Amino acid sequence: MSTQFAIEEELKQSINNAFRSAKVTIKRQGRINVEFRSGILPAFVSYLKEYLDFKHLVMMSCVDWLEDNEFEIVYHLWSYDHKVHIMVKVRLDREKPVMQSISKLWDQAETYEREIHEMNGVEFEGHPGMRDFILEDWEDLPPMRRDFKTREFVDKTYEWRTGREDKQDVRETIAKQYDTEVPDFKNSK
Amino acid sequence: MSEIMQEKETTLYLGPQHPGITGNMMIELKVTGDTVQRGRTHVGYLHRGFEKLMEERLWMQCFPIVCRICVPEPDPNEENLARGIEEIEGREVPERAKYIRTMVLELSRMATYLLWMGGQSGSAGLYTMPQWTVGDRDYIIDLFEELTGGRVYHMYIWAGGVRRDLPDGFAGRVRKVLDYLEERLTDYDRLLFENAVFLKRAQGVGIIDKNKAEEWGVVGPPLRGCGIAHDVRKDEPYEVYDKLDWEVITHEGSDVYSRAMVRRKEFEQSISIVRQVLDKMPEGPVYNPGPNPLKWKVPAGDAYVRTESARGEFGYYVVSDGSLKPRRVHVRGPAYVHGVSLLEKMLKGMNIADVSFIMNSLGTCPPEIER
Repeated sequence: MSTQFAIEEELKQSINNAFRSAKVTIKRQGRINVEFRSGILPAFVSYLKEYLDFKHLVMMSCVDWLEDNEFEIVYHLWSYDHKVHIMVKVRLDREKPVMQSISKLWDQAETYEREIHEMNGVEFEGHPGMRDFILEDWEDLPPMRRDFKTREFVDKTYEWRTGREDKQDVRETIAKQYDTEVPDFKNSK
Repeated sequence: MSEIMQEKETTLYLGPQHPGITGNMMIELKVTGDTVQRGRTHVGYLHRGFEKLMEERLWMQCFPIVCRICVPEPDPNEENLARGIEEIEGREVPERAKYIRTMVLELSRMATYLLWMGGQSGSAGLYTMPQWTVGDRDYIIDLFEELTGGRVYHMYIWAGGVRRDLPDGFAGRVRKVLDYLEERLTDYDRLLFENAVFLKRAQGVGIIDKNKAEEWGVVGPPLRGCGIAHDVRKDEPYEVYDKLDWEVITHEGSDVYSRAMVRRKEFEQSISIVRQVLDKMPEGPVYNPGPNPLKWKVPAGDAYVRTESARGEFGYYVVSDGSLKPRRVHVRGPAYVHGVSLLEKMLKGMNIADVSFIMNSLGTCPPEIER
């Protein structure tokens, strides 16, 4: 055991003793990564919260790994006592992403789960009220998925400003309006 | 009997435009008489999809995007993204650049506190204060304009350092502004912090449960206003905060007044921090160049970095898959928790007139809730 990461090593030991399946890696001082399977995640984070003092839920992120056909949900927890940030990463099947809610443990998780549900389409079991967060009456593919094509959506939803159809040079339109010629702006060398 | 006499609930829609916040956000309140029974926040007026936008931009093109995430305080965003990329890449930052970054962050904290003082007193009905503080904030913004070229959005901090060195005689002009602001603080004390109207409105109002504060995700001045000494600058020192002499400021009371006092003292402390930075700033390069920005690939990996912004912990989770563009950049703004889940808890039993007052003291900032 190196003395440099004493606290981190100790935490790693405790986590491994309690949960054998957790794959713990120490990234640097104050940063621990844990890869975990989704089945008993609420039990795992509640263990971190109650026994190892990870009281502060920093945030929940969702990363779309389209090529692996998986979502990665990342729980960021911070311990004020140990001064360690832990990232618990859980991979979900992209076809049918279902996760258990942790809103019983942290009230603010409710908001994060609503956002991930809306932006990535992940279902959260046991969430108290899954309603819209940012988007309203959204019927398209969840927008933070990587197969959501922003440009196609823009073309479908919005109209281009007049004078910009068919890749027309907007300067020509303006010049026509003011009854002048398009100035020659070529860079001279 | 009228509806109010029968204690029937009425729905009141507060917002999207109202004085409690810097941005647009609506709160649906269920009220009986003047008392709020419960409330629900509705965000979505400022969603610009920056996180999605960044997935289709080169790494360098992300810097002008992130600073727009929080309008009153753009610098922590730039610094966070830069530090996140540096952590993944393992790129060294020159010492002088770290000092300049610290100075920029503290100046931006002061500018934000000035704007907050204006908003806080404005929502209490003291309308002289906003005129003064917004005017004084302009002196800081003038400094930013000289340093970075931009007044509100600076795009000054980038991966590897800062864009350019300080102009000639800049340090002297910063000191002059600091002297002015320090002198001005006595006026602010008289006008706001010792004002009887403010004390009456702020003391004992908007109390956060001290025992639950950590668990509820309260950060920054609201947490320190509960007497809990947590500050990212001390907990996980970044840039040069561990080389400077300063203390975490706390205040007992957990109400609007204690949060105000924390900010007021931190404003004074920021002046001292910037002075120390100017004294200790070494000579040397300010930028450690990376590859050509058009062919800049950040190695695969992820990093979470955090900054103590004027409203609390600002965090960035940066994920790279080794390509030209970021895989995911997720922003954690302090208002995400303060403005939605914490506010909904606090709304119960509040007076209608206090809603925007308390929102201001929590530092609610919708642009960073929605990104």
